[in-house]
Amino acid sequence: MAMVKLALLAAVAVAALACGGSSGGAPTTGSTIILGAPLGLTGSLTKESILTQQGYNLWQDWINERGGIVVNGVKHPVTIKYYDDTSNANQSAVLMQKLITEDKANFLLGPYGSAATATDAAIAEQNEIPMVEANGAAQSIFNQGYKYTFGVLSPANKYLQGVIDMAATLSPKPATIAMLSADDNFSLEVAEGVNTYAATKGLNVVLYKKYKNGATNLSAEVQAAKASNADIVLNSGHLQEAIAINKAAKEQKVNAKIFAYSVGPSTPDFITALGKDADYVYGGSQWTPQVKYTPAFYLTVADYVTAYKAKYPGLGDPDYHVAESTAACLALQRAIENAKSLDPKKVRDALAALDVTVFFGQVKFDSRGINIYKPMVVEQIQNGAHHTVFPDSVADAKPQYPTPAWDQR
Amino acid sequence: MDAFVQLVILGLLAGGVYVAVGVGFGLVWGVLNIVNLAHGALVVVGGYITWQLFTGFGLDPFLTLPLDAAALFILGYALQRGVINRIIRAPLLFTFLLTFGVNLVIVNILLLIFGSDFRSVTPAYSGQGLELGSVVIPYVRLASLGAAILLAAGLAFLLNRTRIGLAIHAISADRDAAQLVGIDLRHAYAVTYGLGAACAGIAGGLIAMIQAITPTAGEPYTLQAFVVVILGGLGRVSATVVGGLAFGLVEAFGQSIPGSGSVFANAIAFGLMVLVLVTRPQGLMGRLH
Repeated sequence: MAMVKLALLAAVAVAALACGGSSGGAPTTGSTIILGAPLGLTGSLTKESILTQQGYNLWQDWINERGGIVVNGVKHPVTIKYYDDTSNANQSAVLMQKLITEDKANFLLGPYGSAATATDAAIAEQNEIPMVEANGAAQSIFNQGYKYTFGVLSPANKYLQGVIDMAATLSPKPATIAMLSADDNFSLEVAEGVNTYAATKGLNVVLYKKYKNGATNLSAEVQAAKASNADIVLNSGHLQEAIAINKAAKEQKVNAKIFAYSVGPSTPDFITALGKDADYVYGGSQWTPQVKYTPAFYLTVADYVTAYKAKYPGLGDPDYHVAESTAACLALQRAIENAKSLDPKKVRDALAALDVTVFFGQVKFDSRGINIYKPMVVEQIQNGAHHTVFPDSVADAKPQYPTPAWDQR
Repeated sequence: MDAFVQLVILGLLAGGVYVAVGVGFGLVWGVLNIVNLAHGALVVVGGYITWQLFTGFGLDPFLTLPLDAAALFILGYALQRGVINRIIRAPLLFTFLLTFGVNLVIVNILLLIFGSDFRSVTPAYSGQGLELGSVVIPYVRLASLGAAILLAAGLAFLLNRTRIGLAIHAISADRDAAQLVGIDLRHAYAVTYGLGAACAGIAGGLIAMIQAITPTAGEPYTLQAFVVVILGGLGRVSATVVGGLAFGLVEAFGQSIPGSGSVFANAIAFGLMVLVLVTRPQGLMGRLH
């Protein structure tokens, strides 16, 4: 067997040599494409940054198994170069510049979080190199008129709109909302999205309360939500705050019909940290392992979950951070293929014109570069497991509604 | 009226955690003249010990508190004896640099051991509470306040009634004179830092029950400890208790301002701190030497 392989290899080598000088032939393997990505591998965003890196690496393995990205019949292997930005947005921008000037990155993948994505987008723009990002959902990034930044994920204002849509279909229909929000850009956009959208579905926001991003004590906020007697308690913040609010809601006996948090419930940490108290909580999600999309290329949803579990055993299903990060790579891959070139400007134009459906959903950018075409889904934790409950077309379970009072669980 | 009473209770209960976080920080600052930037990291270490004992061995989180204290005392003692003692007489900037470095090392060791997952201790009785009319007093927070007050009382007893405590007092008054009368400075320093770390450990155990912890979650606690100690006044445990409870109350009322009031809760607390520094530099309860 080895002999046969050797002979084949020799034949290919001779053929390649023979064609080498002529204009008609081309080598099967071209230069390596370098992608640059600063990530918060240490610091406060370590958790999410590692999920992002997992998503990027899954695709890198897959594409390199196939020899690389095909441009005009030539296969270009891919190397993703990472730097640790210590979860600091300014440091992220410095490293992005370093990736471009010193490491000669051909294209850029986004960092984790809206803050770092915003600073990195400016660097991509200055250098006219496309950045495809998966983890910065604040629309403020896309309202700067940038032409080189593309986000595959649904923008921040849509994060909790799915919950509102779902609430409008439930019986008895909830009527009032208490909205708590951290004061960072992303969280505020999520909250503003709810505030403007709720009325269109006949819901009334009776409390809108902002708190300091990273606050460790939220009992007074939860008390305000209780006093408002709202049917729906929404939080737009981060995992740590979602856990603190859920604990305080139980302690202070806040009995809303729906508890939904923008970020947090979709992570396994939320369930392990809270145990049974995590049940009935809703969350908006970019993606769940239960969604049903028919991909034009790459893996199906089921195969993606299998591939993730094989590469990262013991971590359970991939969460949406992983999936959207892989989707960013896929968007870049397809744009390079469509552009038939590694020229940054041509790839940028191909990204702007991209319209493709992958396991993550439809990837298509509006004129600002954000993907407003993919819907958000709603998850609910039922008996310690994640279930997709809305929209019906992708749901694998019915919403458990209304949430029982704390002393009746 | 009920809402007001509820807010006062929530503020005082939150203050309990700030007391626990503050007493150890104040002790180290007062005696060693070190603003310990690793304090928050030590708090998180305590939180992880409680979490590990709770999830691994099913131990009640409140029973883990003495173990937190013991483990952190040993860690603190060794840290001071081996590392921090080298800069004990150095300018303040060096103490910042070194303790910040220690903070980074601890955080990254925690990241290596536990990963960056968020953890929280949620015992079966978590979330239950005493209901008086419409006012709710959560048991876990009430017990945390109790534990914090006990911790402060125990520390005050140790400092004022025991031989080592008096030695620590003597050092903070005049370290050269203390050495002249035969106090083993290195040992006393290490015990002081160890006690500070032990208090941080207990605070961490309490925080793990109320919040979620992750290796990088310690920073806000260093900051809170700083404010609490300045509010109350340096040099007395009882002053830190007052500072912690005051901070909890101010925060609760700041948060209850309608609209974006919560965003300014910290600003209000820091504003109060500046006000105290201007009008009563020794703190609400502190004594001027």
